Amino acid sequence: MELLYAIAIGLMFGIAVFQLLRRNFNRVALGVIILSNAINLFLLSMGATNGEVAAYAAATGQRSDALPQALVLTAIVISLGGLAFVLAMMYILSIRYNTTDTDEVDRLKY
Amino acid sequence: MRNEWVLLPIIIPLAGAAIAVLLRRTHRVQAAWSFGAMLTSLAVSVLLLIDVLSTGRPVVFQVGAWPAPFGISLMGDALAALMAVMCQVVLAAGLVYARGSRDQCVQYSGFFPLFLALAAGLTGAMLTGDLFNLFVFAELVVISGTILTAISDDKSGVEAAFKYFFISLLASALLLIAIGSLYASYGTLNMADLARRIAAEPDRPLLPIALATLTAAFLIKSAVFPFHFWQPDFHSASPTAVSAMLSSVVVKIGVYGLLRMTTLIFVEQAGPLRELLVVLGLIGVLFGGLAAIGTQHAKRMLAYSTLGQIGFMLVGIGWGTPLALMAALVFAVNHALLKSAMLMLAGNVASRAPIKSAAFNVIGGLGKTLPLAGALFLLGGMGLAGLPPMNGFLSKYLLFNSGLSAQEFGSLALAATGSVFTLVYVARAFQKIWWEPPVEGAKAKPYGDRLIAPALLIGLCLLIGVWGEPLLKVSAAVIDWISTPAAYISAVRGG
Repeated sequence: MELLYAIAIGLMFGIAVFQLLRRNFNRVALGVIILSNAINLFLLSMGATNGEVAAYAAATGQRSDALPQALVLTAIVISLGGLAFVLAMMYILSIRYNTTDTDEVDRLKY
Repeated sequence: MRNEWVLLPIIIPLAGAAIAVLLRRTHRVQAAWSFGAMLTSLAVSVLLLIDVLSTGRPVVFQVGAWPAPFGISLMGDALAALMAVMCQVVLAAGLVYARGSRDQCVQYSGFFPLFLALAAGLTGAMLTGDLFNLFVFAELVVISGTILTAISDDKSGVEAAFKYFFISLLASALLLIAIGSLYASYGTLNMADLARRIAAEPDRPLLPIALATLTAAFLIKSAVFPFHFWQPDFHSASPTAVSAMLSSVVVKIGVYGLLRMTTLIFVEQAGPLRELLVVLGLIGVLFGGLAAIGTQHAKRMLAYSTLGQIGFMLVGIGWGTPLALMAALVFAVNHALLKSAMLMLAGNVASRAPIKSAAFNVIGGLGKTLPLAGALFLLGGMGLAGLPPMNGFLSKYLLFNSGLSAQEFGSLALAATGSVFTLVYVARAFQKIWWEPPVEGAKAKPYGDRLIAPALLIGLCLLIGVWGEPLLKVSAAVIDWISTPAAYISAVRGG
């Protein structure tokens, strides 16, 4: 299970960084989504799967750690808000600059 | 009751922001309400600082009454309280400037709520004692700061906001990786508990990764040399009231984080980190100074100047002696006041220009009809360059003095060179705006942004420069406190 986690996280980080470095807005947005999910998976791998029963359940057995799950929830909410904002900015930029190429968004030069 | 006090500087702006959203239909009421909330919160944080300093004990609040390593601790120690007061003074002045500003974006109903959210995030990031909570507050700062820039009157505000948001997305990714690594290794995110456990078991395999990613995240937040490229765009395209905040107090999150890292969480591992900070700081001082000399835009010049001034603070943190840390702290406070005032003055001149821009070929020579702004700009420029009687002299004197007593002559010489650059670019800007003949046919508009906020800030700078003893005493007490991490740890963990 840990090996699977490690491979999945590594793959997702690789894909995310590759997509973030592309010039097309849509690719970059995809990169943002994959990056935030890679990090959520990493946070989850800190120990969410160690236990057998939920943290505050009445059942007996090894309890799982509730904190990584709480952290992932918070991180998901924040990255969702951030993603919505990025998409909105991309929309406005694509109208104002009439392009979807990040290299052409370069009016701030002095 | 004393322990709940630390909540107030965070809760008041946050609740104020929520209520300001409800008041969106009446702009005047909303502005007055926001200003009132900000002033109340400033008063509360000043009281917090006085209380912490006079009793010598930090104010610790365990949210939800969960005991220390399990719940979230809010920690108002001397350093955090001083940083919170610094932020809130500048933020209150920023609100005053926004009220007197002629920018269109200030009229939007979202402006004041976002500004208060920025205040809440900044204060929270300083006052929290939990690493994940720090991430949440830092995200609040990033998102509200980005939106405030994206709504700027400057059409390229969205471009600057887009660039910044991507970089800070990367910074929060790094911060989360650090948080994950630390939690996987030590099973806690409470900074005090983390410090104790790292000191006990310093050889966990994920520790270097956490150290590296955390450092990189804070360096991005502070726009230190290799991660600075977004900063001049971002700080020059945002509305003046906002850019004065971004370039003075928002960048201090990283400085604060690095100060905490070297004196609390990673005390044993701080050696290489300090050397890195000295090197990056010196590059920032030289590069920022040269870039500021070469640029053709007043706000952009001040943004590059922030790069250099942050470099001075990092050099102080990097030298690491108590005197150098104190110099870095005094530098941080003085720089926050000076840089926000200077950016407001540049914005004020730009608001009087025929087309709203702070580029030197637009505002060059406009100063003939703006004597008051000129006098304030001269005083602020003297402060940035470190000339008496301004507070900048105090910070530079302390820093160079600490470098002499730490016998760091090589880095001291480079920092002094960078300090000369400061004088050059400030004098150049003053000459271009106030001495040179105006551009063909250009005349200053008869009205513009109000000067009251920068006048207040420059007055405060002058006061500190002439009567610096209170600030020096407070900083000495703060450094005294943070040089014993054991006291911090035992204060959070109860007892």
